[in-house]
Amino acid sequence: MHKKTLGDWTFDIGIYLVLLLCGLATLLPLANILSKAISEESAVISGKVGIFPVGFQLDTMKYVVSSNQFLHSIGISLLITVVGTLLAILLTAISAYPLSKRHLPGISIIMVMFIFTMMFNGGIIPNYLLMKKLHLINNLWSLMLPALISVFNMLVIKSYYESLPEALEESAKMDGARNFTILFRIILPLSVPVIATIALFYAVYFWNDYFHPMLYINDAGLKPLQLYLRDIVMDADSSSAVNKSADDLMNVSAEGIRAATVIASIIPMLLVYPYLQKHFVKGVLIGSVKG
Amino acid sequence: MSVTLTELEQQTAAHAQPITKGSGRWKLIVTNYDLYLLLVPGLLFLLLFKYAPMYGIIIAFQDFNIFDGFMGSKWVGLDQFEKLIHSEEFYQVFINTLLISVYKIVLLFPIPIVIALFLNEVRKALFKKTIQTIIFLPHFLSWVIISGLFINILSPSGGLVNNAIQWFGGTPISFFLDNQFFRSVVVFTAGWKESGWNAIIFIAAIAGIEQEQYEAASIDGAGRIRQMFHITLPGIMPTIILILILRMGYLLEAGTEQILTMYNSVVYQSGDVIGTFVYRQGLGQQDYSFSTAVGLFNSLVGFILIIAGNELSKKLIKRSIW
Repeated sequence: MHKKTLGDWTFDIGIYLVLLLCGLATLLPLANILSKAISEESAVISGKVGIFPVGFQLDTMKYVVSSNQFLHSIGISLLITVVGTLLAILLTAISAYPLSKRHLPGISIIMVMFIFTMMFNGGIIPNYLLMKKLHLINNLWSLMLPALISVFNMLVIKSYYESLPEALEESAKMDGARNFTILFRIILPLSVPVIATIALFYAVYFWNDYFHPMLYINDAGLKPLQLYLRDIVMDADSSSAVNKSADDLMNVSAEGIRAATVIASIIPMLLVYPYLQKHFVKGVLIGSVKG
Repeated sequence: MSVTLTELEQQTAAHAQPITKGSGRWKLIVTNYDLYLLLVPGLLFLLLFKYAPMYGIIIAFQDFNIFDGFMGSKWVGLDQFEKLIHSEEFYQVFINTLLISVYKIVLLFPIPIVIALFLNEVRKALFKKTIQTIIFLPHFLSWVIISGLFINILSPSGGLVNNAIQWFGGTPISFFLDNQFFRSVVVFTAGWKESGWNAIIFIAAIAGIEQEQYEAASIDGAGRIRQMFHITLPGIMPTIILILILRMGYLLEAGTEQILTMYNSVVYQSGDVIGTFVYRQGLGQQDYSFSTAVGLFNSLVGFILIIAGNELSKKLIKRSIW
């Protein structure tokens, strides 16, 4: 056995310190904004809030999460995320299956058609004009339909299918099963880890997307959460929403409202994150190691 | 696009391809007609949402007018591209794009590798898991939220960083309104968001290294530092090269969606990149044809870079993306 030398000890301590600092650097901005969201407003305004809260109040948080526009935007985001993810994962998982059968005539050409779109695209303006032509401006479908297949995600699922033992399919075929049955009864149930991981990636995409809503949605009643958040974060003190609410409540400042809105928007992600984390780590590792 | 790197890695796994002779082709197609049916929705998706916008690129060669449409607008040949070449604004935007992108590669690319190497040396499972959970988290937050966080922490009035600067006797800096600092903010926040998550591909690559190598080295008396430099690092070198080459393919993508949440007219000079420029000119000024030309230039250069990167990777490490 190799004995721990002084060098090893310094090495160990150095590593732990660096990683600890990475962790702290990640948490610092989050701790700071959380503190601002729940500190006394006078402390927030005078810039006294650091990593820890100064005083304690939940009025700002309560005000933010009970705001109609906030709840409405959360609802829109949930709708897009659930419907978008379900459709995307179904379409992606189905398309990946024939593409994993490389010996089929024509499949390689279709494969090239998919891959080409990863390397070349029309760009912002032609996409915008297309949405306009399809009458999807100010329509929530404009946020879902163009994102239903990410070719990258599809390739991951495809290579997972390819890693499954061929004997499974062959024996099913002997029993007279058709390709549809094999896909839905055998392949998909076996692919749950990778499907779950990819579903998570789609869900995160739909939940976090602000760029396409910014392009395609200007009806206030259809604004997803990120777009609502952008109005509050970017418009600084000029935001009418922030100013009005500041007048309404004695104990609420514009800065406090901004902080509380950011925190309230992170909460849904934080609630599901620990549960999802064990899946994606496993899923990503399964995917990458096997090659 | 960090996720994509992980996924691309998988594509490098080559699979043997069974050879089919001509006579069996029709039989294969007929017996597997249902497999082809499965492709119909995907192909419709491709045609409508991927290839139709490519057709829309023709307006880069027109003086496009929304009322006259694709067919009715006047053709102007390469006029838009001539305008692009002679535009001083575009020149600035191009330089900004390259600068931000190169800074991101040079400064941020090594960090995930170091994180992965270090995490690999941690024996305390709880510590390892906790750190992983924390550093993966920002990847799942949107750019809007991250802008919100850093506007807050970098604020000249009561932001943590400026409080510290003042405490040391400095004058507060408006990071988001200062051309001298804006690029640094862009690069730093990108690092904050993705460094931890980008380590995942290297963590996976390390997990693939054979344990016998470590045992052999240990018997030969190599300490952990030497093992890290002589086994782990070389073991993941092909992955490092592959990811770096892939990253080069996105050289002109300096973070459009990120910068759109962070910048304002004061810092256009240092922060306007091709993507944001296309957005502003196209949808802000309604200059559809010109900004499509800029977008086409961007796509073409990107396309060439990706193809070149793939060839390079084939030559260097015998692995390719497709």
